Amino acid sequence: MSLTGLHLTAIGSGRFLLEPGAGLDIGQRDELIDSILGRLQKGEASLMYYHLGGQPVIDEAYYAWLDALARACVAINVRMVCVHMQPTAAFALSHILKAPPAFDSALSVDL
Amino acid sequence: MMATKSKTSSILIDVLKLQMGNISESIEREGKNILGGSNLLSSEEITDFCLEFLQLLIALLESKDPHDDASPQFHAMEIFFNNLSKQLLVRGGRVEDLVRYIQFMQRTLIESLGTAKSVSPQDMREILLYLSGLFNEMILSVFHAYLDEKERTIYAQEAELRETATPITEIWDGVLTLPIIGTLDSSRTMIVMEALLSRIAAERAETVVMDLTGVKSIDSQVSHHLIQMVRAIQLMGSAAIVTGIRPEIARALTSLNIDLGNVTTRATLSDGLKEAFRRMNIQVTRG
Repeated sequence: MSLTGLHLTAIGSGRFLLEPGAGLDIGQRDELIDSILGRLQKGEASLMYYHLGGQPVIDEAYYAWLDALARACVAINVRMVCVHMQPTAAFALSHILKAPPAFDSALSVDL
Repeated sequence: MMATKSKTSSILIDVLKLQMGNISESIEREGKNILGGSNLLSSEEITDFCLEFLQLLIALLESKDPHDDASPQFHAMEIFFNNLSKQLLVRGGRVEDLVRYIQFMQRTLIESLGTAKSVSPQDMREILLYLSGLFNEMILSVFHAYLDEKERTIYAQEAELRETATPITEIWDGVLTLPIIGTLDSSRTMIVMEALLSRIAAERAETVVMDLTGVKSIDSQVSHHLIQMVRAIQLMGSAAIVTGIRPEIARALTSLNIDLGNVTTRATLSDGLKEAFRRMNIQVTRG
């Protein structure tokens, strides 16, 4: 399923992979979260991987988007796991975080 | 003013040309005493150096404005002393020796003025002021080179120390160890984190064991950096295990209100490795 600026794919066993693209507009956060959550619920998702391989830096604005999405996922009983976070992004985000994030992290999608 | 400068230059050029042999011989002899005695420069190098210096000095005096410190001739003279200084320092020479030698050159030139005929006190004063200014600039140039060289050495030593002080080792497939010795200041944390996160990405490391046995004391800044490092490791998707926390460090962390609730800790590096293996379903048995 393609949403504006991101791609959400069912990868089996209630798991989904969210791949943001260059056209992702996090300013449209509420609309994006509504669409993603609708799709996750429809697909009876229990886990969503968020692919961060193309995100070299995570700033306050991008973290706010990740945080909002992760909390919304928790509300519908879906675990959000960020994968392929770049060293530069992890470095930048570790300086922003005051508490553990609402999402989990993994090196890659667990096959 | 320009007329005075030209006169100063022409008097000096005349003296140099007339006394070239004596001046050259004198500064060459002293050069061999000061720089050749400790084998810093060979006899041929000192001879070449003296000739080059005199040629550069004449070129400067013959230039449009010998007082112009932005002229190519002045710049050439500066580069000459700068290079000589670097060459000597690399060979283990002392900057004091070179400075003494430059002062000797100045003295030799001033002494040679004694042979100049019909030089008014005013011209003599101008010449002395000019030589003093010129040689002071050359000494400054030598000190700049000395400081540059020292800074480069210190930087290289610091880099080497940083490299050896934080060795990141892949002790098992997917398990990295990072023994931290000493204190973690901001710049060191940045370097360690950069290296560690890149290694996690490159090796796809599942677990990082950070050993603090070598950390003798901890303050709020260091503990903050430690938590940042653990957080960055976890964000990359790896597990962080902190080992070797001394009782006084544990007490300090508590009094600093640092929450290690989300951090896996083990008493020793060995325990930390066992925990890493357990998580990866690896069993190590005696053969």
